[in-house]
Amino acid sequence: MASLEQAAPAAKAAKAKDGRVSMLTMLLRDRFATAAAVFLVLVVLTAIFGPAVMGERATAQNLMFMNKAPFDPANGWLYILGSDSLGRSVLARMVVATQTTLLVAVPAVLVALIVGSLWGVWAGYHRGRREAVSMRIADIIMSFPSLLLAVVVLFVFSPSAANIVLILAITRIPIYLRTARAESAELQSRTFVDAARTFGTKPNAIILRHVIPVVTPTLLTLATLEFCFVMLAESSLSFLGIGIQPPDVSWGLMVAQGRQYLQTAWWLSILPGLAIVLTAVAANVLAAWMRIATDPAQRWRLELDRKSTKAFEKATRQAAKMQAKKGND
Amino acid sequence: MLTYLRKRIIASALPLVVVIIGVFALARMTGNPAALYLPLNATETMREEFAARNGLDQPLLVQMAQYFGGIFRLDFGTSMRTGQDAAEMALRAFPATLQLAGTTMAIAILLAIVVGSAAAMKPNGILDRCSSFLSMTAASIPDFWLAIVGIWVFAITLGWVPTSGVAGAAAWFLPVATLVMRPFGTLVQVIRGAMVSALSEPYIKLARSKGATEYRVIGKHALRNAAAPGLTVAGDLTVGLVNGAVVVETIFGWPGIGKLMIDSILQRDFAVLQACVLLTAVAIFILNILIDLGYALLDPRVRPSAGARKRRKARAAQGPTQGSEQHTPQLAAASMAADSTRGN
Amino acid sequence: MHNRIARSRRIPLALAASALLGTTALSGCSVANSEEAASGGSSAPSDTLRVVLQQEPPTLEACESNLTSTGVVIRSTITEPLIERNPTSGELEPKLATEWSSKDDKTWTLKLREGVKFHDGSEFTAADAVATIDRAVNSKLGCNVEGYVFGDDDLKLKEVDDYTVEVTAAKKDPILPLRLSFLEVVPEETSATEKVREPIGTGPYKLDDWQAGQSINASAYADYWGEAPEFQKANYQWRSEGSVRAAMITSGEADIATGLSPEDNIGDLGVSYPNNETVALRMHADKAPFDDIRIRRAVNYAIDKESIVASLYGGRDKAAAQLVPSGVVGHSEDLPVWEYNAQKAKDLVAEAKAAGTDVSAPINLVVRTAQFPKIQELAQVIQEQLTQAGLSVNLKMLETSQHLTYQVRPFPTKEDGAIMLMTQHGNQAGDAAFTVDQYMTTKGAQSAFGTPELDKLIAQADAATGDDRQAAFEKVFKYQNDEVVQFAHIAHQTGMLGISQSVAYEPNSSSGDELRLAEVTAAK
Repeated sequence: MASLEQAAPAAKAAKAKDGRVSMLTMLLRDRFATAAAVFLVLVVLTAIFGPAVMGERATAQNLMFMNKAPFDPANGWLYILGSDSLGRSVLARMVVATQTTLLVAVPAVLVALIVGSLWGVWAGYHRGRREAVSMRIADIIMSFPSLLLAVVVLFVFSPSAANIVLILAITRIPIYLRTARAESAELQSRTFVDAARTFGTKPNAIILRHVIPVVTPTLLTLATLEFCFVMLAESSLSFLGIGIQPPDVSWGLMVAQGRQYLQTAWWLSILPGLAIVLTAVAANVLAAWMRIATDPAQRWRLELDRKSTKAFEKATRQAAKMQAKKGND
Repeated sequence: MLTYLRKRIIASALPLVVVIIGVFALARMTGNPAALYLPLNATETMREEFAARNGLDQPLLVQMAQYFGGIFRLDFGTSMRTGQDAAEMALRAFPATLQLAGTTMAIAILLAIVVGSAAAMKPNGILDRCSSFLSMTAASIPDFWLAIVGIWVFAITLGWVPTSGVAGAAAWFLPVATLVMRPFGTLVQVIRGAMVSALSEPYIKLARSKGATEYRVIGKHALRNAAAPGLTVAGDLTVGLVNGAVVVETIFGWPGIGKLMIDSILQRDFAVLQACVLLTAVAIFILNILIDLGYALLDPRVRPSAGARKRRKARAAQGPTQGSEQHTPQLAAASMAADSTRGN
Repeated sequence: MHNRIARSRRIPLALAASALLGTTALSGCSVANSEEAASGGSSAPSDTLRVVLQQEPPTLEACESNLTSTGVVIRSTITEPLIERNPTSGELEPKLATEWSSKDDKTWTLKLREGVKFHDGSEFTAADAVATIDRAVNSKLGCNVEGYVFGDDDLKLKEVDDYTVEVTAAKKDPILPLRLSFLEVVPEETSATEKVREPIGTGPYKLDDWQAGQSINASAYADYWGEAPEFQKANYQWRSEGSVRAAMITSGEADIATGLSPEDNIGDLGVSYPNNETVALRMHADKAPFDDIRIRRAVNYAIDKESIVASLYGGRDKAAAQLVPSGVVGHSEDLPVWEYNAQKAKDLVAEAKAAGTDVSAPINLVVRTAQFPKIQELAQVIQEQLTQAGLSVNLKMLETSQHLTYQVRPFPTKEDGAIMLMTQHGNQAGDAAFTVDQYMTTKGAQSAFGTPELDKLIAQADAATGDDRQAAFEKVFKYQNDEVVQFAHIAHQTGMLGISQSVAYEPNSSSGDELRLAEVTAAK
């Protein structure tokens, strides 16, 4: 404690005139988060411009050039990631697939996140009957096999990206619903919420201003982990024919189609899968950064510049050593 | 506690019925299954006989009434595909899934608590970064990659374990190792995140200043308060595993209920599908009751107490201003008491 | 206060933890509903023949033996038919019936083999033969083999004496003995009102037990009437994933694996064989652009069958000119494979357009996912080649149940555009009648359309015998290709078995439908 206070005056926070640090500066402080943000921006740009640039090359079949291995400069830059079972460039297909993948995964996750979280927070705040009914509905959705829902939706309507988004969103709502409710219920009896209630603040305002900021970090972490799961769930649905139809392509469909070649042409499944993993990890790193950046109690980690951070860490280590010695006495 | 249990069990009955009716109706909306079970050149007479044999020519409500009537006699129907009793098929497959789910979650939770707590002690430190990256990757990898690569490495190249099947203890290694990745990765992230928030709370400082060792601080105080989101997510992951790990069951030939359900959907084997869904729904409902009990155990403030509702009603009847005046001292006292016990 | 809360918290948590560990510990090392017997380990004794299938048989009921997943286990292994078709020569050979004859092709007299015992010890007599045929064909059981082979007509049966049976068909049927070869014989006590999951038969192996979900065990029957098989025991398991089946062969956990392909990394242990399946496109002529025969011909010209077979299927498959492969009665060796000519295809499309046909109407290529290896690639290649010819093709990948609504009558009518169905047809029986009646007659269950002339030719062929029958069916196939053009044939397919180094087995065209374990020997 004493050493912590000692470290503080030594800190030279790069504060703006109004005393607050900009988000961009905080982002740049964290090298991993910066890398993640850059990667995600690249992915989004590929999604927007990819089909226009690589569209034809992704569909050009060449039966004489099937299943060529990647990283072979002799095949030219277009085939640097290899060719698939119909001789098409894997690089081009992955670029074109980015748009479909993001158009399916992002809305699915967002819809489930927003609907599930708001509902859960509301239920957890009010407790009692509303909470019980919401939880039972969550139980019902969780017990329902999602494949059955997908097959029925396909049967009644025809397969389309919108239908997959709907199915994926609905089946993932319970996880946000339950997490948000659990955290919201815990907060409901905390002092600050209580204080707000005493002042006569309306429930919705309490929820908005006090409860939601506290539950957001966990939910965002969940959402980024769900992002990957949603992409893989879409992959198995598309493989069954309920979802993305060839010649449309998504990373998930490429992963599913490449599964049978895993031992003889590994790049067909591994490379799009890597794209999924890297995108999900980048989103996750960014979410972790946001958790720290938006939490007033943690923000200081990002506000200090590197020299001060090192000084602080040194001071903490010394303090810990002193405590350990005290504990042993 | 027992009244709570009783209420929850009764309250779960209606959703269970809703699930059964939902699956029943949705399954029959997927068209006539006759083509799947009769040879392709079957004649009209044969199709009619098939429909009559399986009760599919009746209107939906009649079929539903017959089904529910059957349930009361403990007759859940017969599989159109194999001719066996549907309940028998579901009950035979379920324990295998439960064993796999139980083992996987136990390992995932234990490992995640250890790694997540260690990472949370120094946020953005090296251990935190490494474990974050590894856990995120683990949570994102497609399971069939792991399975097939695992078979290739451990079963074929090294020969340590069998490629698939359920014979012997060694057969557990690959399925569990494949399945544990996603829960482990997800839980590490959730626990670490919640612990980081918990560790910056004032009562942690209080505990440290009282001379508590780091292990006590983390294990007893921070972990308990980070438990709520961890428990929820662990519960949801378990639900996913209880529904069956289809990919693992398919690849390793594990005789579980996940593949049985998927197959019965694709083959429109209605009786088996309904039996499987009923079984997993009951398990999920029980699991959720256990999780809610877990919340109550871990956090006294969340406990449903018998008097709370009555007190709330009384307060409301008294009117807003008066109510809030009485409200403040009571609840403030209660939360202060809770705060003070928490830190210890 | 501190201690009280701590204690009350500790106990439930401890209980929960021990419950978790307990279940896993109590379950021990064995999975629920599995036996400890190491029936799948690589340390299995060498007198057990281990087979790994693609899926668990839904049932082993003898009258469902034409279902591939059932027949591959029981046919000629656990049960036996009266007459058996030799897959290589196509000839009918005696099995439980030693001779058969007919004066009018309507009533057949069969002499049965003496000294045959069922697995339960009882003697095989004419009563059993009559009961088998009766329950499969005439009863209300709804046996699959009835629909596949016999249709609605019943057979009249007469037990002449203990070892002679008379079978009378509803109308003249020269291939009745071939139809009878699908009926696996069971004792007369077998229930005629319920299907029996585990059959009693006369075959070289008897069924020991069936661990539902896990494995089927059989052992050599000591009192078998014929030559004893080499392996004393047999064990069947199943894995849906092809690469896992291949891995079991490579690692020595299984001796024979069915349904493999080179992508499963089976290497030299994979043996390919022609499996009597043919893949073709069926064009529905009720809507534009397929109502114009020029477009249907253009489709045939546009598909480069040879390069598909060479590149997608490694040259193992064979380009096809008709729906049945060689070895089937009626297969025409002289019928040429439709020429690949991309320019001619384009010209025909242009010609049709000039004549007023709407060539831009969408064509729905309906394909079943995972029906056979590389089906998705095949569909996309065809889509590409047809698009280059000037047609507009939408790909519809569907799961089995959905696909079947397009495969069998009544066909969907509300499609936007014409239907082109990719169909895979296997002729197990060895006679073109089984294919042609379904696929080419005007009202055939899997026929989109026909013509009266073709119907007449088919009826003539159905009634013919011997060389006349062969010639008549050859005429039918030629007429289809020249005048009707309902189909664009693609290839006769091959299957692949994985055979480990410790056993020797020669697959033939029926190995996919009946795997005769008695023919498997230990490798020298």
